[in-house]
Parts: sequence; structure tokens; C-alpha cells
Amino acid sequence: MTATLEPRVIAPQDAAEAAATLAACARDGAAVVAIGGSTLQSIGNAPRRCDVALHTRYLRGIREYDPRDMTAGIDAGTTLAEVARVLGEHGQWIPFDAPLPARATVGGTLAAGWAGPRRAVYGRPRDLVLGSTIALTDGTLARAGGMVVKNVTGYDMSKLYVGSLGTLGLIVRANFKALPRPPVRRMAIAPIADDLRDRTIAAIGALAIEPTAALVIDGFARVTTYPGASLRLVLLFEGSDAVVERGTRDARSALGKAGIAETLLLDGDAADGALTQLIDAYVDAPGERTLTYRTTGLPSGAWARTRAADALAHEHGLTFESIADLRTGDAILRFSAHTIASFAATIAAFDADVRRAFDRATVLAGAPTLRAAVDAWGSVPSTIETMRAIKAHFDPAGILAPGRYVGAI
Amino acid sequence: MVTSLASRLLEALGPDIVRSSPEDLAAYSYDAYSEGYLPTAAVIPRDAREAALAVRIAFECGEPVVPRGAGSGLCGGAIPARGGLVVSMVRMNRILELDVRNRRARVQPGLINLDLSRAIAAHGIFYAPDPSSQKVSTIGGNVGTNAGGPHCLSYGTTTNHVLGVEYVDGEGVIHHTSLDDPGYDLTGLLVGSEGTLGLVTAVEVRLLALPESVRVGLAAFPDVESASEAVSAIIAAGIVPTALEIMDKLITAAVEAHYHAGFPLDAGAVLLVEIAGPRDDMLAGEAAIARIAKQHGAISWRSADDAAEREALWASRKGAAGALGRIAPNYYIQDACVPRTKLPAVIHEIGRIARDHDLPVGNVFHAGDGNLHPLLCFDRRDPRAARAVVEAGTEILTTCIAMGGTISGEHGIGHEKRDALSLVFDTADLAAMGRVRDVFDPQRLFNPDKIFPTGAVCGEVRAPAAVA
Repeated sequence: MTATLEPRVIAPQDAAEAAATLAACARDGAAVVAIGGSTLQSIGNAPRRCDVALHTRYLRGIREYDPRDMTAGIDAGTTLAEVARVLGEHGQWIPFDAPLPARATVGGTLAAGWAGPRRAVYGRPRDLVLGSTIALTDGTLARAGGMVVKNVTGYDMSKLYVGSLGTLGLIVRANFKALPRPPVRRMAIAPIADDLRDRTIAAIGALAIEPTAALVIDGFARVTTYPGASLRLVLLFEGSDAVVERGTRDARSALGKAGIAETLLLDGDAADGALTQLIDAYVDAPGERTLTYRTTGLPSGAWARTRAADALAHEHGLTFESIADLRTGDAILRFSAHTIASFAATIAAFDADVRRAFDRATVLAGAPTLRAAVDAWGSVPSTIETMRAIKAHFDPAGILAPGRYVGAI
Repeated sequence: MVTSLASRLLEALGPDIVRSSPEDLAAYSYDAYSEGYLPTAAVIPRDAREAALAVRIAFECGEPVVPRGAGSGLCGGAIPARGGLVVSMVRMNRILELDVRNRRARVQPGLINLDLSRAIAAHGIFYAPDPSSQKVSTIGGNVGTNAGGPHCLSYGTTTNHVLGVEYVDGEGVIHHTSLDDPGYDLTGLLVGSEGTLGLVTAVEVRLLALPESVRVGLAAFPDVESASEAVSAIIAAGIVPTALEIMDKLITAAVEAHYHAGFPLDAGAVLLVEIAGPRDDMLAGEAAIARIAKQHGAISWRSADDAAEREALWASRKGAAGALGRIAPNYYIQDACVPRTKLPAVIHEIGRIARDHDLPVGNVFHAGDGNLHPLLCFDRRDPRAARAVVEAGTEILTTCIAMGGTISGEHGIGHEKRDALSLVFDTADLAAMGRVRDVFDPQRLFNPDKIFPTGAVCGEVRAPAAVA
């Protein structure tokens, strides 16, 4: 990192001011990093330069929310908790499934391309975005999509902006499709004995009432705990009373046949709270001596990827924790050392081994020293030249979070 | 140039793949919207390699490339508006890979939508997007227009079910995109781009588990407005059926004469409701829906008790447009979308517009999504009526925009609506899309004269042709 000076903080009052700020920065060649709730800033590489920190804190508010249409236009700086509260009053929600919702913003969550453990059922945030407005470096505000749930009018530009990590412009507003919030929510936590884990995972795959989330968690000792168990299965059932009841009953019976006698149940707010804590842990970096990767791939391979990573941790003398997402295929791999110094000494060789073991592993969180020592993205996709061209067309001056994105974009 | 494209293609791919005689090319000169644009050549490749070779040759000759699935598109997306090469995907119709456990399939773009779900049903899985054209339309065409269908109310549209694509660029290079890859969401950009960014040669789709149970109910209402109010009320109650479809009296009569599914002929509108999910929710869900329908003026409620009855109702709904042949020699189907709560007002306005232009109008639409399909009946041999249809169609679009809606919910912009796109988006909005076009297709040879408005709105008004 070459940035030495503290960046200048600019917090535009409205979308037009945001666009004007970007145009001014482009003219001056000032590098801009967009800041929402700073909950996912650990995603991607540290930008090579940051002259201006562009905050969305004044771009907040839920506009055009008509509960009968179940659509809402939401300004970028609005927190996820605020969205949950306002929509919740009408029995609706937008399942962002993102960490730290009290601080996390809608714009930041979209820009980071966050997608959580319930996406197999509710879709990714990208799937619920109906339209967007983005401020571009030429000073214009460009809209895409609209406020209707079906829309094929020109390119679906919102898809491009979601996940672009502030490298193409600043998302200032997004329109969403809201969903009815499931009235009943229940989490089941079961300990898994080492010798039973394959049977357990197979049993879960055959449930008639599919859980909205199904995770095998190893470590992460402060969340979704089960007394005395490090390895545990977490299932979430959401829906009507009858469906959740049957889902739990079937799951318990299947687990019983797989040799697991006991299951801990959490209901309603307790289930919500436990899930929030769990998702928070995805990006938690306790003790400043951990590094967390997310690998993506087929759901059937998620568990195997955590085992391969476990072996890798042993080779390098690291402590290992993991979350295998049986529904989405994500595997969250958290490595930690006794001291930051010992980890930092071998980080390059370790990261190279991680990249060799997994096609798609990106750094999700961790100690800044460790993150600075690796490329967060590892490999580049085969379409990287197209991505570079997109970047060049949207940000010709190269001022938006330079170096943060895939392939040093 | 003309001989050069056809002869180079013939030399590279042979006569089995290449078509170049005028009589053969006529088959590629139209789609369900329009006709009369003859391409210079057509190819019917068997795989991505052959398709890529054809694209490269066309670009080297400076000729446009127009992808073609079933030609069932309703807005001129598949017509070779500036000649060039039509790439027909009919031979690329295979399922390349099926992963039942992970519920994914990799398919070729020429695979017919319904053929996919039929082929995998035995595994207890299905492909959710189901446009009414699904018996003929292809997955590739569906990807091009981000097609919807009655069931996208709860399942979402095509874009929500595409995990990655394989596409060919203007140099004939084959690329792969995946939602699992880091970087910009090129998959999301390509879906709905109507063939203007590249030629899609394979699609990785997400499959869903077949619901444990499905129930279909039919409510009759005195008019479309009350049926629309009931739709909003059902959704406001926190129920999201898998489909909520309304047909007005004119459509119901045409459909009943053709299919004999038992639709009530005295009703001003019928509402077809489908719910699907675990069996535990079915009875309560159906009872709640029937109650809400009655509260909003439903004259009758009927449950389809078995699969055969359900399928008969659905066949009627999906065949509604075709059944209109009984009423008029031609019809023009409009596609627009409004916020759901605006449905009663917009239906009222559509009725007024049709009366002003002296055109019979039928309404059959995806009410849960606010996605309208007014069908304007006319006889294309009557020039006055043909003109009136174009004018009424435009008025319907401006009405929908004024109510917070948009000009296409699922058919796309294509050739037909490209000038209407500037009613929705301003210069800055279109410029952002133009940048994407510049990246993928700087020569503007992939499906030209589609989506993007012409510089000036041309005075020439083409009477929409239509299937009947």
C-alpha cells in the first residue's frame, strides 16, 4: 500500500452531489473508495490508493415503499436493520443474510456481492434487485430496471453493479422486491460424532421439507453452540407452523436413524439471533491472527472442501474452523495461528497451497497484515479481459478503488 | 460481400450446415412479430465450435449475426433486420450434463424449454421459468429475453435460474461465465441482452425440487377490476401463490370454445390460482384464497381436484393467445408491466384506449406480477385497423409508464420497441448500457437494430404482423 495520507472524507447529501463528487475526483485523478457501514471492507484487496473516502451516510431512507406492491426503493446508506424494521411492520422482508445488519448498508451489501446461507431458497440479493441508480465518474446518474417485478427493458445493468465493489461507480439507490417474512422460524442444532458425519449429511439431503439453511459447523465456538460438541449440524426451518413442525420432526427422526439422539431447538427470535451471530462470524477476525477464505462450488463438495482445508491447516500448524453450506455449496474456511508473527512468516507459502487446493477461494476476512500479504482473489476468471474492458469504459481515469478488484482491477 | 459470406461459410462448414438459397433463407426472415428481412446466409451448427467458426467468418465479412431459437419471439428479436447471418440453434438441443444431486444442468441453447422439464421430471426436479410458449420456445431464446411465464410469481424469471453461460464473441472465441466465479456478473448481463452481446452456445441452469403438492383453483368475477383487487389482497395477506392469472370475458370465451376446460362464460373475468409446496400448507392456503376472492366479489370458486383437471386449465391459459384466431384474423399482443396495485386502473385505461381506436381487446395476464398482455384484435388487410393497432399499442405503453410501470415485462424490446425504450430511459441511462455494448460488441454486429433506440424516431410505422 502506498497510501500514506489520511483520505479526505466526503459524505454527499444526495445522489446528484455524489455524482458531482465522482466527476470532480475523476478530473483531479483522486482515488475514491466508497464507504457504507464498513462491515465488508475486508472483501477484496486493499486499494492501491485512497484519496477520498466517499461515505453514503446521508444517502439514507426507504422511498416508494408500498407494502401492497411489495416493492421498495432504498437509498444506499440505509442500514439492513432499518430495512428489516420498516418492512417487518408489514410482515415483509428482504433476506440480505448479511453480517452486522445494524451497521451494514444496503449499498455496501450489494456492492460487496454478499450472498448468504439462505440464498438457495430466497435467492441472492442480486435476484431481488429490480432496479438501481448509480453515480458514475462522468458525473451522470444512470438508472436501470424499474419498480416492477418483471422487467426486460434494456440490459440488466443492476447485475453488473451488484458485486462490483465500488469499482464502476457508486450505487446510490436500489429497488427491491420484498418477500413475505415466514411467520415461523426454527433452528435445530445437533452434535455430530466424527464417525457419523457422512451418514448425517446424507440424511439431511433426503428430507422432504428442505431446510432453508443447512450447515455443518466445526469450531466457531461462540455461535450456534451445542454443549460439548465442536462439530455440529445447524438446520433452519422457516414457513408456516405446520411446515416447520413437520420439517423439525422429520429432521429429528432422520438424525436419530443416523445415530444422533439429541437436537437443540431454538424458536422465533432466538433462532433469528443465533443465525445473525453465525453470519456475523463469517467476517469476524478474532485476535487479529486469523484469515478466512470463502470457497464456492457444488453443494455436494462443500463438506469435502472443509476436510481438505483441515488437512492443509495441519500441515501448516494452523488451527482450523469451518462452515460447510450443504445447500449453497459455500465453504467458509478460517485459519488461525498462535501468534500473528508466526502466521505472517509463512503466509505466502500457505496461501499458495490454498490456491492449489481450491479453484475458487477468495479472502473474506482476517487480520489486515495477513490480508495485505495475499491477493484476495487468487485466480482470475477466464473472462478477465472483458472485465478489464468494462472497468476501462466505466472508470477511464481508474480512480475507483484501484487495485481492489479481481485481476488488480 | 454477399457471395463472400455464403461461400466462405460453405467452404468452412459444408452444405449440411449452411443455407444460402433464397427459398431456404425465407425460413429465417421472420419471427412471431414480423417478417420480410432476408438474411445473407443461415447456419445450423451442431456444436459451439461450428457456431463460433460461423460467427468469426461473419464478423470478418463485416456481416451481422442474428441468433435464432424457435422464432417464437413477439418483438422482432430474431429478425435479421440488417441482413447478415442467422445462426439457428435447432440442432443444438441437447442436455449436455445433468447433476441431479446439485440440481444443475448444462444445456444447449436450442433445447426446447418444456423438453428440459420433461426429461428431468423422473428425478423429482424441474426448470422453473415457463413462458406460455414453452412447448416451442428454446432455453437460448428464453435467456435472450429473460423470459418469464405464469410461474415466475414465486420462482422468479429466467435470470434467477441461470448459473452461467458459454458464449462466443465476435472473434469466434468461446467464453464461460459462472456465478461461482469472482468478478463482474457477466452472466447477469448476458441474460436479457437479446443476442446483442454475443452468441450464447450453452447455458447452465438451476433446477428446483418438484413441489410435494400442487393445487389449482378458479374464481369467477364480475369484472377484471374486482379480480385484480382480489389478487392484490391475496398477496397482501402474505400468501405468494405460484401463479395468479387473469383472463377477461373475451379471452375466456375464445379459450372455452377451443379447449372446453369448463370456464364460466357468464363471468367478466376468471382468476386462475395455483399454490404449490408442502402438503401441510395446501388446504389452509386454498381456503384463505377462496375466502379473499369471495370478499372481493367472486361469483364462484372451483378447485381442480386432480392433475388432469389442473392440466386442462393450464393448457387453456397457455393456449389463450392461439385461441383468439376464432375472434379475429390477426391479433397484436402487447407486453407491459405495472405495480400490481395499479392493475385495476390500467385495465380500465386499456379498455378506453381500445374503444377510442375501435379495436376489440382481450386481456390475459400475469396478475400477480402486474404483467399485462392486452391482445388487440384486427384484420391486417385493413390498413386503418393496422395503423390503429400501432397507435393503441403505443398509448398503452405510455399509460403503463405513467403509472410507474415499464414497456416490457417478459417479451423483450427487440426490434419492435427499441424506440419506445427512450420513453423509459434517458440519455445517461442508455449511455451506461451503450458502454457494455461497446465492450462486448464494438462493431455493433451482434443482432443490430435491436434494443437500442434509433437516433431519431423514424416516421415509418410498421404494422405489427401477428400469429393467428
